[in-house]
Amino acid sequence: MTPFELHQPGTVPEAIALLGEEGARPMSGGTALMLMMKAGVLRPSRLVSLNKLGLNEIQVGPGGELFVGSMVSLRTLEKSDIVRRGWPVIARTLRTLSNVQVRNVATVGGHLAHADPHMDLPPLLSALGARVTLEGPKGKRSVAVESIATGYLETSLARDELITQVQIPALGSKRAAYLKCTTRSADDWPAVGVAVVLEGERSTIFVSAATDKPTRIASVEAVDALPIESDLHGSAAYKKHLLKVYLKRAMNEARKPAD
Amino acid sequence: MKRASQPTETPQVGRSIPRLESWLKVTGRAEYVHNLRLPGMLYGKIFRSSISHGRIKRIDTAAARALAGVHSVVTAEEIKSIVPDPYYGPAFLDQPVLAVDKVRYVGEPVAVVLASDPHVAEEAVHLISAEYEELPAVYDEVEAMTSKAIVHDVLKPAGTYPDLKHLQGKKNTNLALDFRLRRGNPETALKSAHRVFEHRFRTQQVMHTPLEPLVTVVESTEDSLTIHTASQSPSFVRIEIARLLGWPENRIRVRVPFLGGGFGAKLYIKLEALVSVLALLTKKPVKISLTMEEQFFTITKHATTFRIKSGLDREGRIVARECEVWWNGGAYADIGPRITQKSGFTAPGPYDIEHVAIDSYALYTNLPPAGALRGFGVPQLVWAYESHTDMIARALGIDPVEFRRKNILREGRPQATGTKMKDAAIETVLDRLEVLLDWKKPFDRGGGTLKRGRGLAVGFKACISNTTSLAAVSVNADGSCTVYCSSVDMGQGSDTAMAQIAAEVLNLPAESVRVVHSDTDVTPYDMATLGSRSLFHMGNAVKLAAEDAAGQLRALKDELKLPADAPVPDIFRKKYGMRAGSVTGTASFNPSYTPPDANGLTENATPFWMVGGTGVEIEVDTETGRVRVARLINVADVGTPINPKIVETQLSGGSIMQLGFTLFEKLQFDAAGQLRNASLAEYRIPGFLDLPGEIINEAVSAEQRTGPFGAKGVGETATFGLSPAVANAIHDAVGVRLTELPMNPESVYMKMQNK
Repeated sequence: MTPFELHQPGTVPEAIALLGEEGARPMSGGTALMLMMKAGVLRPSRLVSLNKLGLNEIQVGPGGELFVGSMVSLRTLEKSDIVRRGWPVIARTLRTLSNVQVRNVATVGGHLAHADPHMDLPPLLSALGARVTLEGPKGKRSVAVESIATGYLETSLARDELITQVQIPALGSKRAAYLKCTTRSADDWPAVGVAVVLEGERSTIFVSAATDKPTRIASVEAVDALPIESDLHGSAAYKKHLLKVYLKRAMNEARKPAD
Repeated sequence: MKRASQPTETPQVGRSIPRLESWLKVTGRAEYVHNLRLPGMLYGKIFRSSISHGRIKRIDTAAARALAGVHSVVTAEEIKSIVPDPYYGPAFLDQPVLAVDKVRYVGEPVAVVLASDPHVAEEAVHLISAEYEELPAVYDEVEAMTSKAIVHDVLKPAGTYPDLKHLQGKKNTNLALDFRLRRGNPETALKSAHRVFEHRFRTQQVMHTPLEPLVTVVESTEDSLTIHTASQSPSFVRIEIARLLGWPENRIRVRVPFLGGGFGAKLYIKLEALVSVLALLTKKPVKISLTMEEQFFTITKHATTFRIKSGLDREGRIVARECEVWWNGGAYADIGPRITQKSGFTAPGPYDIEHVAIDSYALYTNLPPAGALRGFGVPQLVWAYESHTDMIARALGIDPVEFRRKNILREGRPQATGTKMKDAAIETVLDRLEVLLDWKKPFDRGGGTLKRGRGLAVGFKACISNTTSLAAVSVNADGSCTVYCSSVDMGQGSDTAMAQIAAEVLNLPAESVRVVHSDTDVTPYDMATLGSRSLFHMGNAVKLAAEDAAGQLRALKDELKLPADAPVPDIFRKKYGMRAGSVTGTASFNPSYTPPDANGLTENATPFWMVGGTGVEIEVDTETGRVRVARLINVADVGTPINPKIVETQLSGGSIMQLGFTLFEKLQFDAAGQLRNASLAEYRIPGFLDLPGEIINEAVSAEQRTGPFGAKGVGETATFGLSPAVANAIHDAVGVRLTELPMNPESVYMKMQNK
């Protein structure tokens, strides 16, 4: 790991200004960033820590939607009564996301901005129609979670843009499920992840992990046409098979009556 | 912490006392080499080969040397200025301190950057480049037998082991040992057998993954070296460094505090030769701490291929067995040739077979070196023979337990070498497995997409011989006791066990005994902490040394005319007129051994046998091939446990480690010998969510009559049977037979598709 500056700004505008310099990177929980720096994949000259920015509230909005500050830890989100009552599928998904140590420090914003296709919340939040607020030098904008990742570890965020809040619509009559399958240890990165949201006759399906980014598909049959490559988790053919099995299971789970 | 040393009549062996060091460990105060920093210390970072086999044409270190803060860059050239012939190894002098002329695997150390800031050293490593002339490489152990790619131009046995002498100077071969055993007339017996079965099994290359990676710090003065190192074999390090430098052993001091896991990764020489030479070159203390990722390029467990063939008579008795085992040793032999022989002779399994043939081959390949890993090769063998045994039983329509019982090796009967079994509770282990598995009761076979199955396996191991342990036990003027021994506590609890043994002899509470850690200036010689040998060998040495000390105290009482029950402090006060003095008992323990003859036969192959059986109940997800172990039963003959709680955790720990090797762990190489998963993100080991729903550990009622208080080793026992038990259970559940490890979901699913 090469030496770097560490800044801990107290406001979002200060953080954005500090990110303006070449070689600067934001750091929230640091769980992914530190590994990439250790591996020499990332060599930032400046880290801008976001841990003094606040952005750590979980609230229900006037329309019944869920507002999650981007610096809310995954563990806080998992344990939130609001989330457990109104969005139980999110709490369930978080329970097997990596491990407790990671969930204690990893944040919702960092999780979404990292754009690793093996992560659990992006496909689920995409299927739920969640959006994020981005703040940058030119002000705020709102984008769908679905459009954050543009490829493997690639996003539509500018270098000096930060996710400050996530908005998740009320579940209402929707039924949702997220399932994943690991092929090595139980706490491994998933080989496949599938999110299914059912509303009446309509279904929204996202698949992840086997694809470069969370990918919306129209039906289970569309799995065959997905660009999936063999990797250390399994052969392409096996992962396609797993996707079909897990999509079927996720559909069944979503249809199950709520506990 | 205060510990009473008041005498006690309470038995100290058989107590499940918490480990003596547990407070130090949970409060972060236990000593580890990783925490050691010396004034003026330089940090070394290693530049490694990017190809699997080639001649080094040029190493460009100029840019690295020019980086601000770099002290120096060292290659084999500089190493040779201190050690002209810089090759080491326990079996062959084949491994260079840094690559000389050739590289033989991807990740082999080629150069080292030294700097007082480890980050600078690491940065400079990226500035080094090397040019190679690539040579043909070989990766598969069976291909290596006949391959044109030759890993070593000339074989150089170290001279320690007589059975390697015939390989001296051999060329054009990758064969680092061809162990051969013949008993009876296997060829004829197979020809005349009623039924013959032949199968082939494979195991994959995996890693030890100690949570504390290898680390060594060396400081030098004009005429001495002090080596602080995370090593399981301090005495060997001293001997080998002395040999390399041409120094007497008394000028080399090897200190080993606690280890954060070893499992065989920290044996013989690892970083010690390199860091010693660096300290001598720079005249400064030098530290190299490997990263977790670098461990993948240091030492691994042998991949193997095993062809096994059995002939049976009409009654279902195994009359002949032929075993051919190929061990993939990687680029350097390490202890591979010993594994090839010492475990090789148990390849037919714990069965009473009259006619036996074993051929066990140690092979060089262009992969990271392989050595001992919790079982010394035995888990690879049990995987094959217990799968094979189950396959035969099912083919013959005999219950797998009954088939084993019919053929089991009973007390007093000769094993393949001809050595008669003694204190080996093989049949008891099988009996208890049958009971704990409720084998005779109806079994819930699951339904829908979740099918259930059960399986079992029994393995055994001969403790390595010929080896020696020495110990000293002091009783101080206040009656307190200090044990001096070079066994390394790497988490297995040896300090606690040695304290219990000394305490039992001296009638002290075990908690009051102090165990001094390996320091070759202080603690006497020990062969190494390996192969579950410490409790038996060092335990016997500590017991004898404590008895020697007790004898000296008794003699003093007689001399001073003190009553037999006089407290120890009174003896010293009367003898010296004040609180002064001490007695030190010493002992050496070296059990007898007879080397094998030309046919691999001997009447005394081992000082003791370890027996481990595993039973599992599993669930197979028929849509994905995922296997979950619902119930795991470890049954072992460990003699009489010194500390039952530690025995239990060694059994569960060994089995969980083997579960990773069974279901998913694997070093994945591409066609050019590049490791694709050299990180814990991509090389997964079992976590808490992988644990079986229920684990039962049982040490059967047994006694090792030659062991200290009836005890023998336990560290490896639970690794033996797990893999074949799971394979047998998969077959029981879904009717497919896996013959290659790991049995990951895809391989199980694909087998089910091709059924």
